[in-house]
Amino acid sequence: MATYLARRLLQTLPLLLGVSAVTFLLLHLAPGDFLATMAENPQISQGTLDAMRHRFGLDQPWWVQYGLYLRNVFLRFDFGESFSRHQPVFVVLREGVLNTLLLAAAAAVVTWGLAIPLGVLAAARQHRWTDRVLSVVGFVGLSVPEVLSGLLLLLLAARTGWFPIGGMHGLDYEQLPPWGRVADVLRHLALPALVVGTVPLAARMRQMRASLLDVLRLDYVTTARAKGLDERQVVIGHALRNALNPLITLFGFTLGSLLSGSLVAEVIFSWPGLGRITMDAIRSQDLYLVMGSVLMASVVLVIGNLVADVLLAVADPRIRHD
Amino acid sequence: MTERAAFESPGRRFRRQLGSNPPAVLGGVMLALFYLAALLAPFLAPYAQDDIDRQRFYHPPHPLHLFDAAGRFRALHVHGTRLADPSTFDYVEDARVVPVRWFVHGARYRWLGLVPSDRHLYGVDAPDRIYLAGADPSGRDMVSRLLFGSQVSLTVGVVGIAISFTLGLLLGGLSGYAGGWVDAVIMRLTELLLTIPGLYLIIALRSVFPAELPSAQVYLAIVAILALIGWAGLARVIRGMVLAIRRSDYVIAAEALGMGRWRVIVRHILPNTLSFVIVAATLAVPGYILGEVFLSFLGVGVQEPSASWGNMLNQARSLGALRSCPWLLFVPGTAIFLTVMAFNLLGDGLRDALDPRSAQGGGA
Amino acid sequence: MRTLTGTMAVLGLTLALCGCGRGPAAGTAAWHDDHALPADTLTLPTAEFGTHGGRFVFGTTAGPRTFNVLMASEQSSSDIDQRLFAGLADFDNETQQNYPVLAKSWETSPDGLTWTWHLRRGARFSDGHPITSADVLFMFQLVYDGMLHPSLQDLLMAGGKPFEVSAPDSYTVVTKLAAPHAVVVAAIGALRIMPKHILEPIYRRGGFAAAYGVGTAPESLVTSGPFVLKQYVPGEKVVLGRNPWWIGVDARGQRLPYLDELVYTIVPDQNTAAIKFQAGELDAIDNVKPEDYHTYVEGAGRGGYTLHDLGPSLTASFMWFNLNRTKDAKPGHPAGEPVVGPVEYRWFSNRAFRRAVSKAIDRDALIRGPFYGQGFKNWSAPTLGSRQWGALGVTGYDYDPAGAKALLDSLGWKDTNGDGIREDDRGQSLRFTIKTNADNATRIQMLALIKDDLARAGIACTPVPVDFNTLTTNMRQDLQYDAILAGLGSAVPPDPAMYANFVTSHGGTHYWNVKQDHPATPAEAELDRLYREVAGTSDMTRRLPAWKRIVELINDECFVIWLPTQKIMLPVRNRFGNVHPTAVPHRVLWNIDRVFVKPSTARS
Repeated sequence: MATYLARRLLQTLPLLLGVSAVTFLLLHLAPGDFLATMAENPQISQGTLDAMRHRFGLDQPWWVQYGLYLRNVFLRFDFGESFSRHQPVFVVLREGVLNTLLLAAAAAVVTWGLAIPLGVLAAARQHRWTDRVLSVVGFVGLSVPEVLSGLLLLLLAARTGWFPIGGMHGLDYEQLPPWGRVADVLRHLALPALVVGTVPLAARMRQMRASLLDVLRLDYVTTARAKGLDERQVVIGHALRNALNPLITLFGFTLGSLLSGSLVAEVIFSWPGLGRITMDAIRSQDLYLVMGSVLMASVVLVIGNLVADVLLAVADPRIRHD
Repeated sequence: MTERAAFESPGRRFRRQLGSNPPAVLGGVMLALFYLAALLAPFLAPYAQDDIDRQRFYHPPHPLHLFDAAGRFRALHVHGTRLADPSTFDYVEDARVVPVRWFVHGARYRWLGLVPSDRHLYGVDAPDRIYLAGADPSGRDMVSRLLFGSQVSLTVGVVGIAISFTLGLLLGGLSGYAGGWVDAVIMRLTELLLTIPGLYLIIALRSVFPAELPSAQVYLAIVAILALIGWAGLARVIRGMVLAIRRSDYVIAAEALGMGRWRVIVRHILPNTLSFVIVAATLAVPGYILGEVFLSFLGVGVQEPSASWGNMLNQARSLGALRSCPWLLFVPGTAIFLTVMAFNLLGDGLRDALDPRSAQGGGA
Repeated sequence: MRTLTGTMAVLGLTLALCGCGRGPAAGTAAWHDDHALPADTLTLPTAEFGTHGGRFVFGTTAGPRTFNVLMASEQSSSDIDQRLFAGLADFDNETQQNYPVLAKSWETSPDGLTWTWHLRRGARFSDGHPITSADVLFMFQLVYDGMLHPSLQDLLMAGGKPFEVSAPDSYTVVTKLAAPHAVVVAAIGALRIMPKHILEPIYRRGGFAAAYGVGTAPESLVTSGPFVLKQYVPGEKVVLGRNPWWIGVDARGQRLPYLDELVYTIVPDQNTAAIKFQAGELDAIDNVKPEDYHTYVEGAGRGGYTLHDLGPSLTASFMWFNLNRTKDAKPGHPAGEPVVGPVEYRWFSNRAFRRAVSKAIDRDALIRGPFYGQGFKNWSAPTLGSRQWGALGVTGYDYDPAGAKALLDSLGWKDTNGDGIREDDRGQSLRFTIKTNADNATRIQMLALIKDDLARAGIACTPVPVDFNTLTTNMRQDLQYDAILAGLGSAVPPDPAMYANFVTSHGGTHYWNVKQDHPATPAEAELDRLYREVAGTSDMTRRLPAWKRIVELINDECFVIWLPTQKIMLPVRNRFGNVHPTAVPHRVLWNIDRVFVKPSTARS
């Protein structure tokens, strides 16, 4: 297992190099730069603009800049400076990644917290109206664009005042006691997590249902039924545990997409995560911040896949890796 | 039931399975209608997509009437309206009867870019206008924009799928069949592509294209590029399937008979992945449609004055529009919802019908 | 609607999980002034006398990029930084006059070239360190630094030379100008004072540009203005608190600011800001989209706010044609060729054509639709929102479709092939593109109407919305466009002296033909001459006629085709006193040091 892990980790290095090269090149194909956004101010002369361009070192050819970038990342673990925020990129991204992971985790809780009980319910009531209604609800959840459901939820929040309109913290966050802070973040988390969480809900629910149905057809369940146990005991006491096994693997597979899945919700609910930071950075052509965030997204993706493989190996002893 | 299935040909079983799944049939029929409407858009739409009426900004939908103000039966008609309050765009109906005409002469168009015509399915006599789904902030007919917009929104998915699945099938097939260094190179490439965050990429790409291109074309070009990246996931699945099929007897037999590598892949191996590919393709289309919606929401998708469902939805974002002009939100919102739903229903039905395992599961 | 009910059921679930109330309001304990008032207090006029305490929450669509006020170059930064740092003088947005701040008074020599500034005694930075002439000299050293090249440098020049600055004593500064300057007080007031005792060592190390960046720890940011930084959470909020040493007092001698906290909440866009305001999370926002006006008017009673009508925006809207010529030679193309093709250049450089376009545009329809009826026809920049410079009574070529057609006919540009589009006298169809920035819904809507207007006159134009970054590159660097619809923001003060780059032929925002070595047309040579008159004196009897002539000339030549400007409406909650928002930048914030929470309505 250890050699397997080491090999996989080594494989990721050229991958990240490739991603960084592709991103860097694309950004240099895009016209304009962040100085352009300041050019609208009638007080700024071209001399000012040229001086700034020189100071920020954007006048080198892209391969020279890229070489400098790689050297800094690998030799000094320095991802550069964010032009627009005047902060080290690493500092900006660390916060963003953590916030995005929090949102993704909350969304996963919504998805799985609803998918497992509803999937079990659907399987237990197979082909009856409960099953059908759940299937319809699942489809609806799957088919509503996140943009639309996000907007409607925002409006609902504005009408009722139950939830804050976007953001992550209330204004008084710093004055709150620890439990108050947790509650405050949860209140802000609820709507975006709901939007992100409902998208994969239908698929997970169906997988739970199918998995449980498979198990319910097995001999030992028939035996349990024959022993006269009531259906509830059969399903929850015997079948459910085995039916969850394949879902654990599935859960692992979704880890890789954690970061990218919440981009829409982050934008609508102004959640200060990696997605929003990256969007802002792309708009202001904040070169090193874009590079860093794409790299960071890639790292999380690679780690997610790695964890998924490990989970798979643990869950399924038939797979041998070394 | 399982017994009967065992004696059935796969094609017949497929038809029976799909036929016994009304939601899937419904989805299929809906999609057929939507695509037909997109094809006939210039004829079905009463106006051109950029036909502005500066007297009727934010005009609400016209109710259709069969009885006039005095309660007498008349042919299908709408009532004339006038702007009651210019500061709020409140329109009131008056008693004037404006009959709906069929197959009217209107804006000129070339159907499919070839057949010139100026016939439109319905319309009213000028200077009145008919807005069955209301007008947008520039007084453009929402029905017309929805229809013309569907030409963009419904094709992005198809174009994207066509490109990514062709690449995914061929490269995945090659990778699984050839093995060795070919396999290694293709798999490393897919890993690289899978590691690039797609949405971020497209926003960066959007600004590279020359602005003079019509924005619908720019968008299709971007979809094509996304598809060029999106084949990676599919290629990996296909590779896995090919690895399994390759060891089957008939492939070994074909190779023994001296069949070429590409022929084996195209004639024997890929057809066996077909059912998976059809299902995956159907379920992948909504991703592209929703992608367009999101990009237009961010303002980097299809640009005005070209219509797309995404930029129509984006018009409805302001508080004022949501409050007083709900049709701006619900017309494109419903169209997107129904289309995505139809694809999901159809894809789901196809999966049940094509996957023997799920078919048995369904009968148990 | 099934979707909504479905999600509502789930909502109930989530609500139960985290049912918790709103947090406590800040500033429950009364504020106590720890320091004695300075010798020379700055008494600021207030309509009402306030009490200390409370919080004002302002919604902004962009966060600060720096707290270094000298290096700040965008509105979102200066909105905040100018609350943190004060200058010798400031601009009163309401009276549109300058008033002394860190300077107690100033006087000028008869020739207007020597200005003597007397600083207030007892003025201190937020760390208690006195503010003296040494700090002012230090700021002049920074602003004239060639490497830093702050944007303010260009304004602090007279006759192309820096001011000569000296300090006879700790509380006197003398500035000598090489030539007369139209807005000396405003220019020097714009130079905000930063602490020399902290920043000089950093400057010597070459680190000034990055100093006081947004990563600065709040307690180490020493300010000279009414506020200090309390907290900055990137992408979320900026919190300012009061500077305990600030010299400003009201007429009763109570130290300002009244507010405990000024919070800038960062929201992603105007739509979110509007929803947040309606939900009561914000006390004021910077701008309201025209289509939302009515919603705000209706909700004012229930929401406890007033929608202030600030009159015409100071941001001018206009379109122009590309008359630029290439600066560098390319193979087969010598420098100095028109950037657009020869066919287009023949049209665009034809004054009659430009006038015809101006006459073809139905500005009333633009006001009625995109501006929701809330706009004004405007024919200059600064716009008619400027009290002194906006009401000169000049109008340009307004809507006259018959006149537009007649002009084009007289050029011999007629529709010869019956496709509805005119051909010029050489048989070329009149077709071109107009670019604008895609993120501005109002401009996109305007373009849709303009396209329709021009089509009626027989001109085919294609609207091309592009990214904001792309647009600015197009208009300033690569010059790849036919025509552009854009705007020109306002400076403070809204004085023509701030518009040198727009009017003069060598300016970078002289959009239709930027950075000319020599004026390309006699009209532009005349503009340059007149502008020297406007900027080179503070004598209003000479400045006003010269400026009026400039506005007339630009309108007559149609170098830019003016479009209507929006009416600015700005909602502010009624709980606050001394609220006087203006159309001049920093709209509601310019006197935020005097804004207070009315006691009867204060939240417990």
